Amino acid sequence: MDRTLFTPKGTYFFHHPTQQSNGTQPDMQSSNNQPQTSHTSTSRSSDSGEPCVTGKWASSLLKECARAISDKDSSRIHHLLWMLNELASPYGDCDQKLASYFLQALFCKATESGHRCYKTLSTVAEKSHSFDSARKLILKFQEVSPWTTFGHVASNGAILEALEGETKLHIIDISNTLCTQWPTLLEALATRNDETPRLKLTVVVTASLVRSVMKEIGQRMEKFARLMGVPFEFQVISGVNHLGELTKEGLGIRDDEAVAVNCIGALRRVEVEERRRVIQTLQSLGPRVVTVVEEEADFSSSRNDFVKCFEECLRFYTLYFEMLEESFVPTSNERLMLERECSRSIVRVLACDDIEDDTGEDCERREKGIQWSERLKEAFSPLGFSEDVVDDVKALLKRYRSGWALVPPQQGEDHQLGIYLTWKDEPVVWASAWKP
Amino acid sequence: MKGGFEVVHGALDLIQPHEQWEYNSIGLQGASSSNFPKPMVVENRSNLERNELSEWVEHVTKQLIEDLPETVGEGLKTEEVTTVGGSFAPVLQWGNEAAGNQSNNLSTGDIDGGLSRLDEHGLGLITLLLECAVAISVDNLGEAHRMLLELTQMASPYGASCAERVVSYFAKAMASRVINSWLGLCSPLISHKAVHSSLQIFNNISPFIKFAHFTSNQSILEAFHRRDMVHIIDLDIMQGLQWPALFHILATRIEGPPHIRMTGMGSSIELLTQTGKQLSSFARRLGLSFEFHPVAKKFGEINDITSLQIRSGETLAVHWLQHSLYDATGPDWKTIRLLEQLAPRVITLVEQEISHGGSFLDRFVGSLHYYSTIFDSLGASFPSDDPGRHRVEHCLLYREINNILAIGGPARSGEDKFRQWRSEMAARNCFIQVPMSGNAMAQAQLILNMFPPAHGYSLVQGEGTLRLGWKDTGLYSASAWTSQAYR
Repeated sequence: MDRTLFTPKGTYFFHHPTQQSNGTQPDMQSSNNQPQTSHTSTSRSSDSGEPCVTGKWASSLLKECARAISDKDSSRIHHLLWMLNELASPYGDCDQKLASYFLQALFCKATESGHRCYKTLSTVAEKSHSFDSARKLILKFQEVSPWTTFGHVASNGAILEALEGETKLHIIDISNTLCTQWPTLLEALATRNDETPRLKLTVVVTASLVRSVMKEIGQRMEKFARLMGVPFEFQVISGVNHLGELTKEGLGIRDDEAVAVNCIGALRRVEVEERRRVIQTLQSLGPRVVTVVEEEADFSSSRNDFVKCFEECLRFYTLYFEMLEESFVPTSNERLMLERECSRSIVRVLACDDIEDDTGEDCERREKGIQWSERLKEAFSPLGFSEDVVDDVKALLKRYRSGWALVPPQQGEDHQLGIYLTWKDEPVVWASAWKP
Repeated sequence: MKGGFEVVHGALDLIQPHEQWEYNSIGLQGASSSNFPKPMVVENRSNLERNELSEWVEHVTKQLIEDLPETVGEGLKTEEVTTVGGSFAPVLQWGNEAAGNQSNNLSTGDIDGGLSRLDEHGLGLITLLLECAVAISVDNLGEAHRMLLELTQMASPYGASCAERVVSYFAKAMASRVINSWLGLCSPLISHKAVHSSLQIFNNISPFIKFAHFTSNQSILEAFHRRDMVHIIDLDIMQGLQWPALFHILATRIEGPPHIRMTGMGSSIELLTQTGKQLSSFARRLGLSFEFHPVAKKFGEINDITSLQIRSGETLAVHWLQHSLYDATGPDWKTIRLLEQLAPRVITLVEQEISHGGSFLDRFVGSLHYYSTIFDSLGASFPSDDPGRHRVEHCLLYREINNILAIGGPARSGEDKFRQWRSEMAARNCFIQVPMSGNAMAQAQLILNMFPPAHGYSLVQGEGTLRLGWKDTGLYSASAWTSQAYR
C-alpha cells in the first residue's frame, strides 16, 4: 500500500500552551520509519497530494497505529491517530467505518479510558433497547444473512436427533438470540409422527441488554407453543454473573428430563480463565447433547500481544463489516445497530484489561472452533452432524445471496469437529455438537 | 457522464437581452439610496412556515447563551497533553467537573405548541447536544467525551427525523474535535474527489449551487457587455461546473463572442489540469477562443501578482463561491488586498449565511441553525433512506460541519476569518456594490422552478443581494462588486 500519497497540509497547534513549536514537518513517506522527535510544525505548505482514499487504506493505517502504540512511539501515535480521525466516519464506506470504530478503541487505549468508555456505551445501548427494536434487528439480520440462522438450523437438527423418542425435553438455552431459534424446533416437534413431547425451555441470559425484553418474549413463546400444540414451559434465568454458578437445581432440571444445552455465542462471554470451569459445569448438568456455535476468530491466545490481537480483530471485523455492507441497504438502521454492537466489542477486546469485574462484564474474547474443541473434548465427545442436518443447512444457505458456503464435517482425524459457515471462502461461524 | 457538465437550456432560452450594467446609481453599502430597488420577497407559497427545527434551536440556544457563566475561564480544569516521551498520561478527566454542571439547565418546558411535530427523541438529543457544546466551550473535554459517547450511540444519520440526523453529524464532529484537542493536531485531510462527486449530487437535488452559478454568471455577463477580451479568475474552480453555461451565452452573444481566458485555482494541479481540459474541449465545440491557466495555489497566498498573468486591455472578473469544505483562499486579509490590487471589473461573490469567525459556541449555534435548515430542505424532498440524500449529508454537509466546529475554525488554521465578506467589501472604499439585476433575479426564479417543492425555498432580494434560503432562513447570498478604478 502506497503511503506516500498522504500529505498533510501542515499542522497547527492551538489551545495547548504546553505545546512546543519547531520546524520539523511530519513526514509520511514510507521510506522514513524513524520516529519524529516532535510532531509539531508551523509550516504552511500547500496541500499537493490527495489522501489515497481508494483501496483498503484503513487496514494499513490502523495496523501501523497499533504497532506504534505497542512501541510506545508517542509522536507517531499522535500523527496516525490524527490521520485516522480526519478520514474516519461511522457513516461512510467500510474503510471509514472500520477506521472510526478502531480509532475509538485505540483512543481509549491511549487514554486508558477503555473500561469507562465500554460501560458508557453499554449503558446507553441498554437504555435505547426495546423489545421492538431488538426483535426488529434480529429478524432483519436473519432475513438478509445466514450468520445466525446457520447455527440455529445446525443446532436444532442435532438436538432433535439426539432427543429422538424422549417425552420430556428440557433445553437450556444459553444465548442472546431472543428465542428466534425455537419456533422452527417447536414446529418440528409438533409435526412429528409420534406423540408430541413436552418441552421446557430455560433461557439463561447473560447480556443485560437482553434481560429487559425477555418477559415479552416468554409470553410470545408460550403463545406460539400453544398454537403448535406443544406442551410448553418457559423460564428465564438472569442475574447469573458466572455461568460456572449454574446447577441442576438452579435450572430446575428434573431427573426424568432429557437435557440439551444450547450455547450460541455464550462461551466467548466467559472470562478466559473461567472457561474450563464453565465447561465442567455444563457437564455436571448431565445433558444428552450440547450444541456450541461461535464466531470464528481468535482474540484469546494473543491477548497478551496487543499487535497480534489487534490484527486478528481487524481481520475478523473487516470481514463482518464487509458482509454487513453487502447484505443491507446503505441507509439501514439495523446495520448501524449491528456495527455499533461491534464497536463495543472492539473497545472491550482492545482497550480493556481482562480484570475480574463484579458486574459480569462480557468478555468478548472469541476463540476458533479448533480451540473450543480442545476445551470441549475434556468434558464431552464430538457428535457429528448427520447428513440430514447438513442438507438442511445447505438448503438454508440457498435462500440467501451468493457468497455463503458450508464447510462440511471433515473426514479423517478431524472428523465430526463441527461445520463452518464461510463468507467468500473465509470461515466465519462454527457450529458443533457434543455428547457426554 | 459528460464530465459532469450541465447546461440548463430552459434558463438560457428565456434570457432577455441583458440590462445595461449600471453601477453609478447605487449608494455605498447598499444603504438607503432611493435608486435602490425595493426589497422584494418572492414567495411561491402564501404562508411561509418557519423551519420548525431551526426555530426550536434558536429558542433554546438563546436561553443557553443567557445561562452561561459571565467569565468562562474561571476555575476550570484544562486538559494537559504530554506529547514527548513514552508514557501516556490519562488525559481525559472523567467524573463531575464543577464547571460543566453549571449551564445544564435547559428548560424544554416553554416550547411552542406548534413544534409538536418534533419528536421527543429528537428534542432530547438536541438538548444533550447543546449541553455537550457548552462543555466543549468551557474546555470540559472529559464530560463532553462522555456525552458524545452517548449521543453517537443514540442518534442515527439514517433516521426519519431531521433533528436526529443533524445531531448524529454534529455529535460526530464534536467527537472529532475532542480527539484533535487531545492530539494537539487539527489540520484537515481532504479527498477532493469525494467532495466533487458529492457536490454533483447536491447540484442535482438542491438549487443552491445552480443559484450561485447562474446569478453570478448573469452578473459576469453584464460586466462583459461589449468587451472582447475577458479574463475570469475562479478562486476555487473544482470541476468548473459553472462555466459551460456562461460559455454558451457568450458564444451566442449578439456582438459576437469574446476571447476568453480562464484562470482556475485549486489545490491540486492534476485536478486543475483535468478541469482545464474539459472546459477547453467544451469551448472548442462552441467555437470559442479560449485559454485556460491553472494555478495550484490559494489566492490569498499569492505574493507575486504577475503569476496571474493579467494582460492589459482585458476585462477581469473574479468569481468566488464560498463554502466550508476546506480553506480555499488562505488569509482573508491578503485575499481582499489582492482583490484590491487587481481591481477587477466585477467580483461575483456567493457566501454562506454563516459566520466562519467567532468562538466555538458562536459557530456551533450558528451552524446548528444553518445546517438544520438545509437538512430540513433535503428532508422535505427525499425519503430518509434515499442514498443520494445520505451522500450529500455525509460527504458534504458533515464535512462542512466538521470543519466549522473544529479547532481553529473552518480554515483549520486559527487565522481570523471575516464574519461576513459583503460587509468587509462594503467597508472598503475600493469596492462598490453592483446590485443584482432583474435578469439575475429571473435566473434564480427559473432555477427554483426546477426544484420541487419550490414552495419551501425562499428567494429574497435586498440590499443589492440575492438570497436563497429555505423557509425563513437565508442560506446563500449572491452579490456583485466592482472596483473604484472603473468609476
